[in-house]
Parts: sequence; structure tokens; C-alpha cells
Amino acid sequence: MQQVIEKSHLLTNRRQFFSRTSTGIGVAALASLLNAKEPTKSTALLGLPHFAPRAKRVIYLLQSGAPSQVDLYDYKPSLEKLHMTELPAEIRNGQRLTGMTAGQTKFPLVKSPFTFQQHGKSGMWLSELLPHLGGVADELCLINSMYTEAINHDPAITFFQSGHQQPGRPSLGSWLSYGLGSETENLPSFIVMLTKNSFNQAQPIYDRLWGSGFLPSRFQGVKLRSQGDPVLYLNDPTGLDQRSRRKLIDSIAMLNAKREAEVGDPEINTRIAQYEMAYKMQMSVPELADVNDEPESTFTLYGEAAKEPGTHAYNCLMARRMAERGVRFIQVFHRGWDHHSNCKGNLPILTQQTDQGSAALIADLKQRDMLKDTLVIWGGEFGRTVYAQGNPASFGRDHHPRCFSIWMAGGGVQGGLTYGKTDDYCYNIVENEVHVHDFHATILHLLGIDHERLTYRFQGRDYRLTDVHGKVVKGIFA
Amino acid sequence: MTYPIPLDGFSMKSKKTKNRLTWLTSVATLLLLTNGILAQEAQVGFNRDIRPLLSNKCFACHGPDANKRESGLRLDMRDSAISTLDSGLAAIVPGNPDQSELWKRINSDDEFTRMPPAEHHEPLKNQEKQLLRTWIQEGAKYQTHWAFIPPVRSSMPSVENENWSRNAIDLFVLSELEQRNLYPAKAAGKEALIRRLAFDLTGLPPSLKEIDDFLSDNSPDSYERLVEKYLASPAYGENLATAWLDLARYADTNGYQYDTERRQWVWRDWVINAYNQNKPFDEFTEEQIAGDLMNNATPSQILATGFNRNHGITIEGGVIGEEYRTEYVMDRLITTSSVWMGLTVGCARCHDHKYDPISQKEFYELYGFFNLVPERGQNGFQPQMQIASPLAETRLSSLASRIAALQHDLTTAKEDLTGLEVWAEKLASDGNHWQVLKAESSKSSEGTTITPQADHSLLVSGVNPQKDIYTLSFRTDKTALTALRLQCLTHPSLPGGGPGRHSNSNFVLTGIELQATSVADPDLSHLVTFSKARADYNQPRYNVTSALDPNTSTGWAVDGPTRKMAATAIFEAKEPFGYEGGTLITLTLKHEAQFGTHGIGRPRISISSAPTETLDFNGIDATIVDAAKIPAKQRSPLQHKILVDFYQANLGPAKRIENEIKGLQQLQKNAFPPTMVMKDQPGIRKTHILNRGQYNEPTTEVHPGTPAALPPMSPSHTKNRLGLAQWLTSDEHPLTSRVTVNRYWQQLFGNGLVKTSEDFGNQGNAPSHPELLDYLALEFIQSGWDIKHLHRLIVTSATYRQSSKVGREQYLQDPENLWLSRGPRMRLTAEQIRDNALSVSGLLLNTLGGASVYPYQPKGIWLELNNRPGYSRAYPQSSGEQLYRRSLYTFWKRTVPSPMMKTLDAPERESCTLKRSYTNTPLQSLLLLNSTQFVEAARHMAGQILHQPFTTDRERIMHAFRMSTGRKPHEDEIKILKNALHEHFVIFKNNTEAVENLLSVGDSIVDHSLSPVQLAGWTALCRILLNLDETITKG
Repeated sequence: MQQVIEKSHLLTNRRQFFSRTSTGIGVAALASLLNAKEPTKSTALLGLPHFAPRAKRVIYLLQSGAPSQVDLYDYKPSLEKLHMTELPAEIRNGQRLTGMTAGQTKFPLVKSPFTFQQHGKSGMWLSELLPHLGGVADELCLINSMYTEAINHDPAITFFQSGHQQPGRPSLGSWLSYGLGSETENLPSFIVMLTKNSFNQAQPIYDRLWGSGFLPSRFQGVKLRSQGDPVLYLNDPTGLDQRSRRKLIDSIAMLNAKREAEVGDPEINTRIAQYEMAYKMQMSVPELADVNDEPESTFTLYGEAAKEPGTHAYNCLMARRMAERGVRFIQVFHRGWDHHSNCKGNLPILTQQTDQGSAALIADLKQRDMLKDTLVIWGGEFGRTVYAQGNPASFGRDHHPRCFSIWMAGGGVQGGLTYGKTDDYCYNIVENEVHVHDFHATILHLLGIDHERLTYRFQGRDYRLTDVHGKVVKGIFA
Repeated sequence: MTYPIPLDGFSMKSKKTKNRLTWLTSVATLLLLTNGILAQEAQVGFNRDIRPLLSNKCFACHGPDANKRESGLRLDMRDSAISTLDSGLAAIVPGNPDQSELWKRINSDDEFTRMPPAEHHEPLKNQEKQLLRTWIQEGAKYQTHWAFIPPVRSSMPSVENENWSRNAIDLFVLSELEQRNLYPAKAAGKEALIRRLAFDLTGLPPSLKEIDDFLSDNSPDSYERLVEKYLASPAYGENLATAWLDLARYADTNGYQYDTERRQWVWRDWVINAYNQNKPFDEFTEEQIAGDLMNNATPSQILATGFNRNHGITIEGGVIGEEYRTEYVMDRLITTSSVWMGLTVGCARCHDHKYDPISQKEFYELYGFFNLVPERGQNGFQPQMQIASPLAETRLSSLASRIAALQHDLTTAKEDLTGLEVWAEKLASDGNHWQVLKAESSKSSEGTTITPQADHSLLVSGVNPQKDIYTLSFRTDKTALTALRLQCLTHPSLPGGGPGRHSNSNFVLTGIELQATSVADPDLSHLVTFSKARADYNQPRYNVTSALDPNTSTGWAVDGPTRKMAATAIFEAKEPFGYEGGTLITLTLKHEAQFGTHGIGRPRISISSAPTETLDFNGIDATIVDAAKIPAKQRSPLQHKILVDFYQANLGPAKRIENEIKGLQQLQKNAFPPTMVMKDQPGIRKTHILNRGQYNEPTTEVHPGTPAALPPMSPSHTKNRLGLAQWLTSDEHPLTSRVTVNRYWQQLFGNGLVKTSEDFGNQGNAPSHPELLDYLALEFIQSGWDIKHLHRLIVTSATYRQSSKVGREQYLQDPENLWLSRGPRMRLTAEQIRDNALSVSGLLLNTLGGASVYPYQPKGIWLELNNRPGYSRAYPQSSGEQLYRRSLYTFWKRTVPSPMMKTLDAPERESCTLKRSYTNTPLQSLLLLNSTQFVEAARHMAGQILHQPFTTDRERIMHAFRMSTGRKPHEDEIKILKNALHEHFVIFKNNTEAVENLLSVGDSIVDHSLSPVQLAGWTALCRILLNLDETITKG
């Protein structure tokens, strides 16, 4: 018996040892430091992936502010007749409203001012505002039956990013970094980009949306910026060449190595490796961010805007470049979809900013044979009401959590598929509802992860991205 | 529902068992004692071996949560576990594993009967099954979860090595080491020790002088005296407070979507001061949780309650207030329970806790304590109170002495009557200060009737238009006019007999204009500017001053609906006006608010040429005017006194001094922003259980109370927050002292004696040294919750004073230093790393407390996330010395924390953080290599070295190395640094641009007394030093 106990203590220690030293990136970089020719070791958690993945990486184009599904994706000819009629009480069915329309006494339905056309072999219906996307319709898996529980931006986007409405949980990307590790030694495995000044009155966003919550902070997303250093503090202030910077890193490494020999703490070796990685990033990040090596055809595809850092198109192009370089989870935030007034005037501005780049990304991945294992996602944090907010003539649309649209492409989902149905009022889902937790479970599944088994013990409880919920939506798989 | 404590086989009294002493010499080295209870002769200890297994694998379905319990089986209580269930089977038959259904089920080949179910992904290992078997065989003895039994002081263990220990801590540690055939490390060298101690107690490195003094001090108590010195340093409070701010989720912004700014730093100063005053932890607790409820609460005690107002507060438009108010209460409860009890009560928000004996009902009983704050969900910034920072005493006392000096001057100034007669003469000629004007004409823009009255007031009647502008003209011969008075009188003919024309008796004066025209020469005319306005009554948000602005949506109103009284306003002219030969005054009164029919009902106009300070609403008393009319020599003593008193009170030099005093007093008052504090408003709210934790699904009403698994509140404790705080700090409470000493231990050693410092429940780790934990917990209570005593005790132990230089083998064997066979070696915190660089470079500005500051930050970081006009702004980077304050004063924006802090693992402070992670990332390397703060610090460090009277580079290198690491370098280290220095000299000699680039980093002035190439070379060297693992590590 005593032996059993002793052994179990020893095992614990061994496990703790590895959990302390195998610091993801760190060990891989250390390996490369010690032997440059050694291939990259897997930095995934033991036992992951749980099964063969369909996708190796994710590019998530998050549309903050909530795009209007009824004007872009969810085609509703029924509204022609219902236009300017009152939303029936049985359809609203006690749905709680935000403080912005709770005081409204009338809820007149307003049809989309934009026309819809069918695209591709699949005949997918899309708004006239999305001509480029129409060109890749047969790659799209359009889900018109998303729903959420939150009705305000902060809790809703926090829910999408972390599976919980209140701050504090790890983000989707940090769960993936934690579970699957990194495929690259030269770049972070989770990178975030923001469109610069995309729209007046854009929704604020927050660092915690790509934070690691209670996971170790090395799993948090790294923001690639369009102004200043692309990664914070990347550039040496002296402007010295690579050789001189090398000397600085070498001196630090030599002194650290001596200290390690004397003290014996393996953390010092990890530190040496991280300085090496930092040095590599000083070369790999500028190389990544410099699109001058792209042929002109790239800019024909993505549009001229892709030459300007900080545009959505540029970020889409960057996302493809990162995907090529082994970044696991790439997230692009585009803001400005919160159209409480003047949908008719504002929506075309936003689609003009996003349509070509998003479609180009799909076409580009496809032509590089990368779409098959890259999951592209496009969507906001909830939908918008089919009834008018304010004056129906210059109408806006309020927040609507009960149904909205998101699309995916590549990475093992079925192209040309329109999944899920809403009622004639575009108010409630009537078929194949997909909750935010289901969405998360499905993404993890596509990456070879059983969402019930990717857990992290915190404060005595095994936490999951999907909490105690989540169904994998197999109906969208190719 | 209540949870009786399962105490099978162990009554509380058995803690006194005589067996306790026998184990000390026992060879059964692996026996683990819990709270002094000997685990009998059993090989398997319930608390150590079985409870974690059952908790992890079984309690989710067979534990405390009644709603999720499967098959009626409850394995966290022995009675239930051994009873025969409805199925006719018993999960556990003590002494007989083969008859026990549990044993059968965990070994079943049938995937549908096997436990734990496959879908839980928690299969039992063979070794774990064997543990369960042995335990059942030995009688399936249960023990109360260790953390719910109050700590007991054990006798000191005897140890073989009798020379090593310095205090009781060491006996407990050594005893565990000896049982594992481990040995303590040698004592740390003096250089390592002083650096470790300085960082642990003050968060700052020791100065070279302190190191040298310590090295040369060979007295036996040199270390103890050093400890006292650091404990007494004001930096001690700053260092301790930094850790507390994580627990208290302190930040300078409101979190949530817009993350607007708040000013709660006076509370932060309270924490620093409390630690420096060594406020006993029980008082520290009671004041922060319930200072407002204490008897005759002092402002400082009320200030302390800011602790539970540090949570985020939303201002997002369209949120449902109650949803967020509920979250704030939840946050308070969860934070308070985590900080003081190490319990994860939040798990019981939606259902009974799955692992610990806290029911959902009990969760809401605790919730009830925090549910009486008169607050809102959206913009819930009240209640607030303006209280002085305890750290601002110097500033306050300098203001106070200024005021005292002025008050002294005031006595002599009062005697100064130089200007009296000039004023009296003027008063005599002007008569009563206000001259009521008789209107020559009056008309309304909308045709309203205006009728002059005998008292020269103008009664308005007839049509009552939405908006109305009265134009009134008067004539006067007076000159040097200083002010105009507008009396709004009441009249029975007006609505409600009030002063206004609206049906509710109110008026809104949105604008007033005065045109002065010379009667003698009508070409002379100008618009009089009013610089000030005051009224004897202002409706909130409708102050008379808003009648002066051009905005027609703001104006002066007087609460007509409730007040119905006359009101008077005085408008002071910026420059005196009035023409020789008479002035035509054309006065325009505008009523253009969005609220219609809000005209003034009966205006009366007066003018004055008296100094505006002397003017009040009713003019000067006739007795004063009469006295002034009598020539000075003929006045009676009473008349003289009347004049002097008025002059002194309103006009003389004394008045100027009084005004200055008033200004300083205002400064005193405004030195501190209002701080959000706690308040209870009994009766405003009932507490209900919330179904699924949802704010809008209240069910049964509950009343404040504490969980049954913990000792009851004493009947002398009121069932409010104060009672709760007193309950937490009562001697019987099993958790508070343990959780607290464990956290202080964690700060020094990296891990607590209970590694899961955030969870003392069933799912948490058992203490590695249970008797030591209890010893410290009791020592803490018995010392009067003396925090400095606790620190003194730990840092003077031989355990703490061990070397961390023990070699790879030892780190491999015990990577986490579980058994404490070496000294702590940890990376410094974010704050300490930055403060170290500032300190060694000589840049640090060491002043205590005050508003938060904005150190260097790359441009654009705030606005790229939030550029919403009115809700955001660019980062207002500080300048000058404010760039170099200690890091705990760095402005903490929750949604975009300082990248310097965040990169080095500081939390966002969105919620209570009990333990930071310590990661090791390339982004940290980039920060230390390239950020302005660290590069500038390297330049200043280099400058300091070059100004030392050294003659060789070797001496300089040694000095620099000591500055950054606290120790003298070895020869090979000197050699590496020497090479690096020369390499950089070569680089910089041929590259003036690089020199310029490097030296221009940071706002501080470059030291031109030094050669730029020299300074650049040494800056490069210092950059190397500031980046060493050793520099950013406490070893």
C-alpha cells in the first residue's frame, strides 16, 4: 500500500514538472535553440486532438455591433406583405427588449430595402449588398438559425468570445492555444487584428475578448497592430541591424546559461528560449506584415484597400499570410454594425468595407488548397429586429438575440448550404437552431476536439468553453 | 436544507487524542495528519486519499447537490453511503469491499453499469480503485473536510537535526523533510538574502549601501534588525497593498463596455496606510466589509468599505438595471467569500454546490448581506462619500497651516478700517442699495398683457404662449451701475398663486439681455455683459447661471410645482454701466425652453451701483444706510459699530483674507474625489433565491445567514455585514486565518501551504504541511491578527533563509518546492520588475499615495479599442516625475490594462484574482528589451555608473552588476560583460544615428556631460543587465 501511495506522489511530481516546464512555445523554442535541426515538437496537450481534425486553423472575421440578418442573409419575401404591419404579440411572445425600444409602443415590421439574388449552383439567397460573397456562395455554409441569450453588446460579445456573458473566462482562441499548442516557432499561435477606425461610433472592444481568463496568460491572443510596432515593443529602439541585436541576445543568453548551471532552475532555460523566440519574431513579424511581396493579382482579388494597413481587406490578406505561416487562430474584429438608425444608409458603408476582403479570403485560400483545412467564420454577436426602431421611414433596427445569421467556409463544413430556418417574421427560429454553445462545440469538433473533454481545473472545478452545454451541429459538416 | 457535518468515528473531542504525540516518533513516515487528528492506524487517509477521489469522480452526481443526485446515493456523507438504497443495495459495506456496490460498479465490465460513467471522461485508475478497496476494507472511515474544522495547535514535532531550526516553522518543515529523507538547503548567502527580503517586504531592491552595511555587520542580530527596518519602511505598505488590489479587483475604470474612468484611489491609499500602520487583520477585515455599520463609524472606516464597490459598473445604454445590480451583489459575495474563506461559493448561484456543503439557499442567505446597498444597475456609482486620503497628511497639514496663518492675519486685518469712510459716503449718497425701476414701456413678443402695478412690478396675464420674450424699458440717472435685480413675485391671479405662468406655477428664464443707451446721445449704446448670476432659490439642474448661456434649452426655474414662492436673482455686470445724463435700459427676458407657457408671472426690476460683494437679495438694511448718512464724528458708538461690522464682514481687507481662506478650504475639500462606499438601507429590498441565478426569476424569500457547515454566527452578532465580518474574524472560524496566512505564505514562497489558495473546499489541494498551517493560523489569531508579526515570523525562519541555489537535480525532484527543501526562487511581479528598473536607475519617485498616474505606453492603444466620442480619450501619458512612480500607482484601465503590467501577468482586475500566473513569454522579452521605460532606465543606470569615481571598466561592470542583481559577479561573468561592452563600443563608434536613437529614448534629459558613445555603450550593457533572468527574479 505504501508503495502505491509513494508512486502516486512521484507521478504527481513528474506531472507537475512537465506542466511547469513544457510551456508550450517555450519548449519548442528551447529545442530549436539547443538543436536547430530538430523538427518542431508537438506542443498540444496530451491526448489532443481527440480525433482526426477536419480543420487545422481558424480565421474568424468577427463583425462587432451585430449585422442585420434580415437585410443581408435571411431572405424574407414574406415581409413584402407584412411590411408596416404590427409585429404580432404571439410572435414577440414576451421577448425582453433592450432599454432602447422598451419604451416604444408600436413595433412596425419593415422589409429590407435591399433586394436579394440567388447565387452559385446552390442557389443561395444573398443581399445585393454582398456581390463578392455571391461569387463564392458555393463555398459558404450559411447558418440562419443562430441564437444567443444576451441582448446587449458587452455580454453578447463576451459570450461569443468566451462562452460566458460575464468577464473572466478564457477566450475561444486561448482555449485552442492551450489545447492544440502552436504550429509555428516564429509567431504566436493566436493573433488578433482590428480594423482601424472602421466606422464612426463603433462599439468599443476590450483586451479581455482575446484574454486567457484563468488559463495561463501565455495563451492569450497577441494583437497585431496597424500603427506603431506591429507587435508591442517588437522593434529595437536603436534601429540596429540584426547582427548587433544578436549580440545583445547572445550576451543575455550566455549570462543566463551560467546562472542556470549554478542554480539549476529550469525556468532559466525557458527564459533563454523566450529571448530566442523574441529575436525570431523581430524578423518573422515584419516579414509577415510586409505585403510588398504579394503579386498584383492579390490586390485585384482583395481590392486596393488591402494595401493599406488597418483595413478589413488588409487584415483578411494578413489572415491568409498568417494561416500560411502556421498561426492557429486568427481573429479579425470589424466594428460599426450597430445600426439603431438609418439601416438603409449605413449598411452599404459596412458591406462595402467588408464584402470584397471576406470573399477574397475564401477564394484565395481555395486557390492555395488551404480552404479544406482552414475554417473561415463571419458573424456578429446577435441579430437585429425585423421591426423598426424609431421612425419607420428612416428606420433603424434594435438588438435581436432570437435569430441571426453567421456563415462559415472551408475547414470541413459543407459549401453551398443554407442551414436553419426562421419564421416569416424573421423573429423566431423554426428549424435547426444553433446556440452559441453549439457553435463553440462545433468549432472545437472541426478542430478534432471533444468540447466536453477540453477542460481546465480552476477553483476546484473543471471548466469548459461550453460550460455544461453545447451540441455539435453535425448537419453542417461536409 | 442544512448539511450536518459528517463526523463518523471522529468526534470533535477526539482531536485531543493522546495518539497525537505518538506519531512523531512513528516510522510510518507517510502517515499524514490532518488538523492533529491521527488517521488512526489506517493506511489510507480519508481526507488525503479518498475525499479527493470521491469529490473528483463521484460528487457531481452523488454529492451535495440534491437536484443532481442520482439514485438517491450521496457519497459525501457516510450515513448515506453505507445505507441500503431503494435498489436494496448499499454502495459501501464497511469492511467488506466485495459486498459493496461501489466496488462492483467501479470494476464492472458492462459499460452501462460501470462507474464513473464513460461520458464523464473521469475513469478511475487501478491504483485509485485499490485505494478505495483498502479504505472500505479498513472500515470506510470518514473525516470532516479538514478546512471546516477549526485549526488546532499541535505540539512541536521532534526532529533529528536539532541545530537547524530557528523557530517553530522550521520544526514542522524539517520534520516533513526528515520523513522523506530530504535535507534542507544551506543558508542563503547574505547578498541573496537581503535582496530576497527587500523584495518580499518592500517590493524594491536593496540599495548598494544597504547591502554593504549588511555584509559588514557581523552582529548576531544583523538580519533581524534588517527585517525590522524593512517592516517599518513605507514601501512595505505599498508592496502589501499591491497584492491586495488584485484581490479587491481595484481599478481606475468602470469596466464593461465603455470602461469609463472612476476615481477610487483614496480607497487604495487607505489600504497602503492600513498595512503601514499594521492594522490588525481582524480590523482590516471588519472595516473593509462593514466599516459603515460600525458604532460611530469614522470617515476612515467608511472609506475602507470601498473594497466592495470596486467591481465593474456598466453604463451601457439599454441594459436592464436589475440584471446588472444583481451582478454587483454577486461579485461582492463571491469576492468576499474567496478572499476571506477560500470558498468557491459562486458555484451555488444556480444550484447546490456540487462539491462543497453550500446549498443554493445558503448562497442567497449570504447574498442577503450584500443586497441592501441603495444602488442602481446602470450608472450605479452612488453611494459615494468625500473622504480625505490618509496618505495626504503632509499636503493637508500644509494647507491647514496656511489657513491658520491667514486666520491670524485676519485679526489684524479686521482692525483695518482705512476704506470705511469712503464707502460710508457712497452708501449715504446711494441710499438703499437697490433702486426699484418703474417701467416706461413693456411688451411681449406674443402679445401677452403686461400691467404695471403700484409697487412697480409688472403683472403678466392674457394669452399664454409656448414661448414668450418680454421687452421692458426703464430710465435711470444713476451711473456706475454694478448689478440688476430681478424679483419674481407671486400674485393671486397667477396659476396656483405662484411666481410662474405655467399651470404648475413654474417659470423657466432661458435668457436675459440688457441694452444700455445714453439718453443724451442715443448713438451711445451697448449690450451689458453679466459676469455672474445668483439666486435665492435654484431648482436642481436649473441654476440661474444657465440663463446667462446662449443655450435656450437651459434656464432658471424655481420648483414652482412644490414651492410656489417668490424668487429673486441678481445679475452682476462685468463692467459698471450707466451714462452721464441718463440711461435708457432695455431689458429682454426670454422664455424659450422646450417646456411651453413657462413665463415669469410678475417681474420687478431694480438696479444698484454698490460693490457687488455687499449686495444681497433684499438690499442693505435701512439702519446701516442711516448710520452712513451721519457724519463720522457725530455717530453714536452703536451707529459706528453697525457700520464697522458691515464693512468688515463684506468689504474690508478682512473680507479678502476670508475669501482666500475659503479658497484654501475649498482646495482642502476638493483634494479628494468622492469615493464609492457601502451603505445599507434596510427595508429597500428583499432577498430571494434566484432560479438558475437569473435576476428575473426570484423564488423563495430568504434572510441573511451563514452556511450550516461552518460555525454559527454568535447571537451577539447582528445579521448584517458587520455581523458577517465579525463572524469571519471570530476565533472559531476555521477558514479566515488559514486562508490569510496561506496567502501571505504564497506571496513569499510562490505556492501556499495549500497550493490552491483560491479553493479550500473539497476540490482544493490538502495542505502540504497541515500542522504548520494550523500553527501559523493560530499564531496569527493569538498575536492579535498581527500581519507584521506573521511576516517577521516567516522571514526569520531557517526555512525562508535557505539558499535557492541547489542544482538541477533538486529542482527536478521537487519542481514546485512542495517540501520546502530550498529557498523560494520566483520571477518578480510585474510591478516589482518595473519598480526595480526605476529604482536601480535612480529614476524612481518615491512618494506615497495620490491619484493614479500614466507611465509610458505605446501610442494609440486606448483609442484603437474604444474611440467612441464622449466615452473615450487618448491615453493621457504623464510627464516629468509622474512617469517614474511605483507601479501600483499606474492607472488601471480594465479593458486595456497597461501593456507593461499585463505582459508580465498582472490581471485585468475584472474580478477578484487570488493568484497570478507566472509565465515566461517572448512578449516579456520584447518588453524588457525594447520598451521606453526599460531602455530609459538603462540609460540612467549607465549615467549613474559613469559618474562613480571608478577608474576601470572592470570596476564599473562590477558596480553595474551589483546594482541589478545585488551580488558581485564571477570572473567569467565579468568577461562576458566586458566583451559585450566593447562590441557595443565598436558598433556605436561607427553609427552616430544608433547612438542618437538609443539616447533619445524616454522623456528625461540626456546627460550631456558624458560622451554619447560612452553613454550608449554603457546603456547597452545596462540593457543586458536589466534583462537577466536573475535581475527579474527573487532568488
